[in-house]
Amino acid sequence: RCGGPAGEMGLEVEPLFQAWSYFRRRKFRECSDLCSQLLERPPGEQEQTDSEYTVFQAAWSLKTRALTEMVYVDEIDMDEEGIAEMMLDENAIAQVARPGTSLKLPGTSQGAGPSPAVRPVTQSGRPITGFVRPCTQSGRPSTMEQALKTPRTALTARPITSASGRYVRLGTASMLTNPGGPFINLSRLNLAKYAQKPKLAKALFEYIFHHENDVKNALDLAALATEHAQFKDWWWKVQVGKCYYRLGLYREAEKQFKSALKQQDMVDTILYLAKVYLRLDQPVTALNLFKQGLDRFPGEVALICGIARIHEEMNNISSAAEYYKDVLKQDNTHVEAIACIGSNHFYSDQPETALRFYRRLLQMGVYNCQLFNNLGLCCFYAQQYDMTLSSFERALFLAENEEETADVWYNLGHVAVGIGDLNLAYQCFKLTLVNNNDYAEAYNNLAVLEMRKGHIEQARALLQTASSLAPHMYEPHFNFAVLSEKVGDLQRSYTAARKSEEAFPGHVDTQQLIKQLKQHFAML
Amino acid sequence: PELPVLERNNWLIYLLYVRQDYDECKALIKEQLQESHGLCEYAIYVQALILRLEGKIQESLELFQTCSILNPRSADNLKQVARSLFLLGKHKAAIEVYNEAAKVDEKDWEISHNLGVCYMYLKHFNKAQDQLNHALELNRHDLTYMMLGKIHLLEGETDKAIEVYKKAVEFSPENTDILTTLGLLYLQRGDYQKAFEHLGNALTYDPGNYKATLAAGSMMQAHGDFDVALSKYKVVASMVPESPPLWNNIGMCFFGKKKYVAAISCLKRATYLAPFDWKILYNLGLVHLTMQQYASAFHFLSAAINLQPKMGELYMLLAVALTNLEDVENAKLSYEQAVALDKCNPLVNLNYAVLLYNQGDKKGALCQYQEMEKKVQAAKESSSLEFDPEMVEVAQKMGAALQVGESLVWTKTSKESKSKQRAAPSGKSSSAQQPLGSNQALGQAMSSAAGYGKTMQLPPGAGASAPLAKPPSLPLEPESGPETSPEETSAPTAAE
Repeated sequence: RCGGPAGEMGLEVEPLFQAWSYFRRRKFRECSDLCSQLLERPPGEQEQTDSEYTVFQAAWSLKTRALTEMVYVDEIDMDEEGIAEMMLDENAIAQVARPGTSLKLPGTSQGAGPSPAVRPVTQSGRPITGFVRPCTQSGRPSTMEQALKTPRTALTARPITSASGRYVRLGTASMLTNPGGPFINLSRLNLAKYAQKPKLAKALFEYIFHHENDVKNALDLAALATEHAQFKDWWWKVQVGKCYYRLGLYREAEKQFKSALKQQDMVDTILYLAKVYLRLDQPVTALNLFKQGLDRFPGEVALICGIARIHEEMNNISSAAEYYKDVLKQDNTHVEAIACIGSNHFYSDQPETALRFYRRLLQMGVYNCQLFNNLGLCCFYAQQYDMTLSSFERALFLAENEEETADVWYNLGHVAVGIGDLNLAYQCFKLTLVNNNDYAEAYNNLAVLEMRKGHIEQARALLQTASSLAPHMYEPHFNFAVLSEKVGDLQRSYTAARKSEEAFPGHVDTQQLIKQLKQHFAML
Repeated sequence: PELPVLERNNWLIYLLYVRQDYDECKALIKEQLQESHGLCEYAIYVQALILRLEGKIQESLELFQTCSILNPRSADNLKQVARSLFLLGKHKAAIEVYNEAAKVDEKDWEISHNLGVCYMYLKHFNKAQDQLNHALELNRHDLTYMMLGKIHLLEGETDKAIEVYKKAVEFSPENTDILTTLGLLYLQRGDYQKAFEHLGNALTYDPGNYKATLAAGSMMQAHGDFDVALSKYKVVASMVPESPPLWNNIGMCFFGKKKYVAAISCLKRATYLAPFDWKILYNLGLVHLTMQQYASAFHFLSAAINLQPKMGELYMLLAVALTNLEDVENAKLSYEQAVALDKCNPLVNLNYAVLLYNQGDKKGALCQYQEMEKKVQAAKESSSLEFDPEMVEVAQKMGAALQVGESLVWTKTSKESKSKQRAAPSGKSSSAQQPLGSNQALGQAMSSAAGYGKTMQLPPGAGASAPLAKPPSLPLEPESGPETSPEETSAPTAAE
């Protein structure tokens, strides 16, 4: 602790200056404490200034900024849809969109990505991605019931809630860090007064929006302030748009963002506007917007990355990879682009290239379980046997929760299958299940191992568990169908084969099986 | 007014059913059943048939049971009940009902056929054969032939199965399934001419037949026509893009054309799709041996051995890899295992002899050499065949060297010259210190396998590892079930 309250060191530093310096060095806790001390002094003490703002106000504003920065999350990347937004919200204009123009129909675009036989999928046919963002959507449930039944992390990067309740929780959590209760009592503020003073208003708005998550009050303040600025400040327009977006008024938000763009070209505004369009399920409009943005800001990484994400969401993996490559040409340390291209290479039979991309991530100082997991896999499939197991060991060591441990054991099981040691593989998959009881892939693979040993009943039970846990995976359905067909139970075989076909329509073996079964049914 | 006739609309129900207009048919049936208070037998019967077509066997079984209550003297109803039981996997119950049906109608081939199939599922093969033969006497049918052939195959009697299939082909010469199966059986027996004939016929009738194409392609490959085989595979590859056997065969085609990197990538895709297939692993090991990447070769070969422990050649190749990894002790052990498991491949002994010779164990080398000669002798007696010329060459040199060893005139120079001679043909750097690597023989055997065209009828025994390296191609029994089932493959999960 270098700072401490001023005066301890003997050298008197001006407290406001000290606080400001803390703030610039991003020591928000110290800055906030110091500001509190300043604010506790009797207010009349420093009334000697004749400027527009007093020291008191300066400290007050500084403290709001410090508190905001402690919990600040970039609004662009905060995009979570709760169940209610997914199900009950009907913002998309076209109910049955043409293939390739909507995000809600995965698998309809003609992207030449790897098939589910090669690349694992998340819910309903969206291939697993290389990089999980808070706003990653992987397919959406079709009914409320289904949404409630599926595992909570199946659709978004975090456990799903009923109606993006995370914002609220963020606010409350940050309140606990303030021992003396909330800093500002919002209901007692006279927003109209603050709106007159733009320098205070901006900080206050950010505080209300990001720290307190009180969108309604924030909107009030923003409306008053933008009026005061005579609608000439693009910043306030963007903020009003943000508020509308949070409240679910997408068209109004779009209006504000558009008008802000007219005033001033900003990358931020383009990203917000694209977010609105994506929420309205208009990916093509968003793409056009990004391209216009690229004309104004040539080579802007965030814009190219946005294009790539849209392509990826529409299952057009090959062109997504192209755009990610453009990103890398601009910024060769972009983690998301590297990870996506890497996983893409891995699943298109080029583990060596994937290994290079992941090693690049390692060089950049990324140090987590997933990376070492991926490195281990790439090493094994690229036949770099010396690095394989040590990578997995490190991944196990770095795993932060049981799900990650389960992932690593699962992949170790694959390595064990690769060296033909089926006992080891069996143990690995068992350990996967110990760590994560809902690991459908591990159930499926265990079943395959059991089948090889000839334990048909166990295999059936495991496959049933797998298919109920992950109805979107075709493997357990298909395996169950094959198994039932062998025993002669053609009815179950048929139902399972139909489900497999639903999950992966292009699977040749399933189609052959169904054809065969239909012959059985039609024959006398 | 006249009393309503129960069977009044049967003709219309039948017509709709035959036209596959199931929705309308169902509506009509409902109407008819309401009118007749559920006594119209035919309506129930057709309803059950439709339900069965939709895969709802349990419901259809109940309806057929209703039918047979309405009309207990009908063999048809009983047959349908039994059929539903069969589709549900209750084979014993099905047999009982079929027996009852047989009492009502004795001259029905279907009853006998289905009884045969049920017995087959219960593994009573003798009874099944009797029933199927009976069915054939009553009325010949493709399916019956297929089932009979299947039973013979299950019992391991390939010759009988071929006889059955031959008759079947005579009876219905345009059935591609039968043609393909027969072709594959001939292929298994090594009767290439006939196999080609039948597979060709199958392909004429159905040019996109996946099985036949794969089999034909593998035969061409065995004779060295790699380009033709590749063009065949290209036709199927778009239809079945994720078939492990197909990618394996393509990989071996490239291997034959000495495009090793392409071969490895194809084989690796195959093994990614089918991690339990030892043949693919074997081929991968072989290719890596040729590429002189011994660590990877060892890895794949040991994986293959784990999955298929009863194969001499695998141990031999493993030993070759071990020799190059400078683990002579284990290489010897592996050779011991190979010699113990292998009965007819002289290459195993030859390689072992070379290793022992290089280790200075001339006695053991001689022993293995004689063992090899025995095998060669046996093979020569069994049929007139040519050996791989390069293998013969190495063997002769080895013999010469060993005789020198016996007569105790052994000088270092001669050994060096020997090793030079031997190292040269395989294109390795001819450093004098290098012992005559046992893998040379293998490399030569393989290079000769690549240029296979001249020696047309090389039987599996003598062709060294070459024919084995050839595609595992098609299993006779339809794709060995769950083993080939797709493995979930791990996700590089989100690298944040």
